[in-house]
Amino acid sequence: MKVKESEYLKLKKPVLKKLLEKLLAKYEYASILANDSKSVNYRVNKAGTYIFEDNTLSERGFVVKVFDNGKAAEYSFSAIEENTVDEVFDEIVKRLESFGTKLPEGVDTYKYNDTDEDELFINESTEFESDPEEKGDNNIIELLTRISEKGRAFDDRIIDCSVAFNYQKYSKMFLSRKKDLTQNVMWSCGYIVAVAKEGEELQNGYRPVSMLGGIEVLDTLEEKLEDACNIALDLLKAEPMVPGEYDCICEPDVTGMIVHEAFGHGVEMDMFVKDRAQAKEFIGKQVASELITMHDGASTIPQVATFFFDDEGIPAHDTIIIDKGILKTGICDYQSAKHLGVNPTGNGRRQDTSRKAYTRMTNTIFEAGTSKVEDMIASIKDGFLLCQASSGMEDPKNWGIQLMVDIAREIKDGKLTGKIYSPIVMTGYVPDLLKSISMISDSIEAGGTGYCGKGYKEWVKVSDGGPYIKARIRLG
Amino acid sequence: MKDKILASLKRLNIEEYILNISSFKSAQMFFIKKSLDTKRAENTVSYSVVVYRSFEKDGKKLKGSSSVHIYNGMTDEEIDAAINRTYLAASFVCNPTYELMECKKNDFITIESDLNNYSIEECCEKTAEALFAEDNRNDVFINSAEVFAYENNVNIITSTGIDSGYVRRYISGEFVAQCKEPQDVETYKDFKYYTLDTEALKSKVKKTLEYTLDRAKATEAPKAGKYRVIISDSYVSEIFSYYYSRAEASYIYTKYSTYEVGQNIQALNSEGETAEIKGDKISMKIVPAIPLSFEGVWQKEHDFMDEGVLKIFHGGVRFSRYLGIEPTGDYDSKGLNIKPGSVSVEDMKKKPYLWVVNFSDFQMDDFTGHFGGEIRLAFLFDGEKVTPVTGGSINGSILDSQTKMYFSKEIQRDANFEGPYAMCFEDVPVAGI
Repeated sequence: MKVKESEYLKLKKPVLKKLLEKLLAKYEYASILANDSKSVNYRVNKAGTYIFEDNTLSERGFVVKVFDNGKAAEYSFSAIEENTVDEVFDEIVKRLESFGTKLPEGVDTYKYNDTDEDELFINESTEFESDPEEKGDNNIIELLTRISEKGRAFDDRIIDCSVAFNYQKYSKMFLSRKKDLTQNVMWSCGYIVAVAKEGEELQNGYRPVSMLGGIEVLDTLEEKLEDACNIALDLLKAEPMVPGEYDCICEPDVTGMIVHEAFGHGVEMDMFVKDRAQAKEFIGKQVASELITMHDGASTIPQVATFFFDDEGIPAHDTIIIDKGILKTGICDYQSAKHLGVNPTGNGRRQDTSRKAYTRMTNTIFEAGTSKVEDMIASIKDGFLLCQASSGMEDPKNWGIQLMVDIAREIKDGKLTGKIYSPIVMTGYVPDLLKSISMISDSIEAGGTGYCGKGYKEWVKVSDGGPYIKARIRLG
Repeated sequence: MKDKILASLKRLNIEEYILNISSFKSAQMFFIKKSLDTKRAENTVSYSVVVYRSFEKDGKKLKGSSSVHIYNGMTDEEIDAAINRTYLAASFVCNPTYELMECKKNDFITIESDLNNYSIEECCEKTAEALFAEDNRNDVFINSAEVFAYENNVNIITSTGIDSGYVRRYISGEFVAQCKEPQDVETYKDFKYYTLDTEALKSKVKKTLEYTLDRAKATEAPKAGKYRVIISDSYVSEIFSYYYSRAEASYIYTKYSTYEVGQNIQALNSEGETAEIKGDKISMKIVPAIPLSFEGVWQKEHDFMDEGVLKIFHGGVRFSRYLGIEPTGDYDSKGLNIKPGSVSVEDMKKKPYLWVVNFSDFQMDDFTGHFGGEIRLAFLFDGEKVTPVTGGSINGSILDSQTKMYFSKEIQRDANFEGPYAMCFEDVPVAGI
């Protein structure tokens, strides 16, 4: 089934068109993005049961973008009616004219030119099998409760088992002089977090599921429970890592974190505009092993960051960033593209309509290779299998790696020994790691239960992943 | 809309609810190098309703809750339908019963600040002026910056008679300093102030520019091993957030944490046993970022730890009721007031040290007690000379370190944090070259 168009946005469209008309009479460029989004979180754990609408992902809001003699400005608002169009227009003009003229000494205002655009009409919806709203809150909570209770009974040391589901269903409308775009999208996620305790130490085992679609995402959640519990228990006996450089196999979620955090942020081209990304100097050069081909795009794979147009009205792309080890291009929002004289790639995304659009990743992956996972493990004499990515931080300027994973499983003479180490910090220089990749498994896994920030804010839904990779990595 | 929502709740006979109305007015400026790239203005309002439903199941008294957003322009029928769906959802939420926050006083306050003397746009422009005031060197400069000025107007209405609110202004933002020679490096910093504290911002920019110059000279990572580590600035509050999280009512109720009021929590080791505290003892207060929680609790400062001993648990209404304690509200884990320590920064630096002034990201894991991050800039003193270093990472454990930590006499202030400017740990593992 296809996600239905928002009745609210359909109702507002003529009102927004009136506002757009007035804006276009005053400014050389004007666009309006409208969003009607609902996101509900369900969670069951020892602390209780929760059903609540997500404050960050639920909104009805609007953002106007204008270029006024080349100067970029935006106004975010949350209400407009047939009889308040003039009032909203006057407020936009008044507020935007009331500041930005008294600038610090030596600071001027950037002027964009050539804000013309091509004609475009889109009205598309993603598909799903089962709508969470129709499934019913009681059925969702019943399933989560059953898994949570089973997890808590798994072992005496498992003190809690949090099981969650959330979805977002949104309709977005983008209107400008030559564009009339509508999209209706739904993604869903679920996860299990088993918590084990010994003394003052707490450890957790995490297993996620995510997809572009509806409640059907939960079909495979329960089978991941045992894994989540065993990971938490294993971590209680983990030893600290002896720092050093090792041959490692990365599970797909760790590969995903390398793709996203270590490399993906470095090819966000708003960083090129600011001279904040080393990647700018490496276009056309080898940055990774020739086994590596990397993609990003809302149309790359069907996952949680799939859409038909971005928050600046640019159609979705599938951008090949690295082709057989050679850096081909970055990803770009509309304004950064204007700065750089390139075409935008459909990566201009906002946390919500009260926020600015930045260049953001969407679904970011490495392509699959040809190796079997068991052959990859067998090829390691003394190294680790890295599992359960926990967090990472980008460093586009210096391509320094700071990634955290929860588990390093020891491999000796091609076999897993059962010994595990935690926590693990992966460090080093990004191209060194990527060039050291010597084997890639023959299928990929991607997921997106988390959010990506720009620095420490501006959270958007992303997915990442790839195959198992074998690489030489510095661990601490 | 407020009246329409309250009328709907009455029409639907919903006995217990909380309505949260929050509006934002903001001015925002985005700079690339010495150019204003984009300016933004905002005028938004959101309405969030939490409905509660009491019922019995298997002889147990339960209370469920669920929340929904109501939007401007919704008709009475649409509001009724949205709230009704949410009320039904609350019947599937089987939590032990508890009482909502009672009304102790109703008030609407405007939080005093010199920001109130200007328009929100002027606040934004004055902050931008302060930010660029120190950007006047050729060798190091501000690469890019974002400046925000906000006015947040909050109104909480509950079925227990609370109808209170506040208006608060603040400025926030971030900037990146860049130095191109002898190597091209940058430093990221963010800021947040509840007053027009232009001097504090200027000082932060100046210090960041200086550190960035130092980082440009740093080429080597420290050798792997154990170090006497000093951290400073915002990383200090991150460490103390561990105690804040572990003493939260939800952590206590779920037994994630076994802390007890009156217990010396600083003396605990990883096995849960008590050790002697040889370093500085922690005394601190928790400080609210906002005066009124979303549940209607008027929030105030509380004594939290005294010489390592836990004074109170803190938390929202539900878990506080379960534990039989007075709800304190919802605090920010960085909203702390910590008593300074026994040594000056200069004294800390008399013995060999690794002083990390900039991490790529510094994290304190309140689950495991591990703290660490990748080193962007540190000063390594080997007993003879100080060398700037970069690379490698800190990987410490608060449970191993907390009985032998020292805090500086010098203090720092930022938003609602006040505490030692620096702190020092013994024998912290560092992954280096």
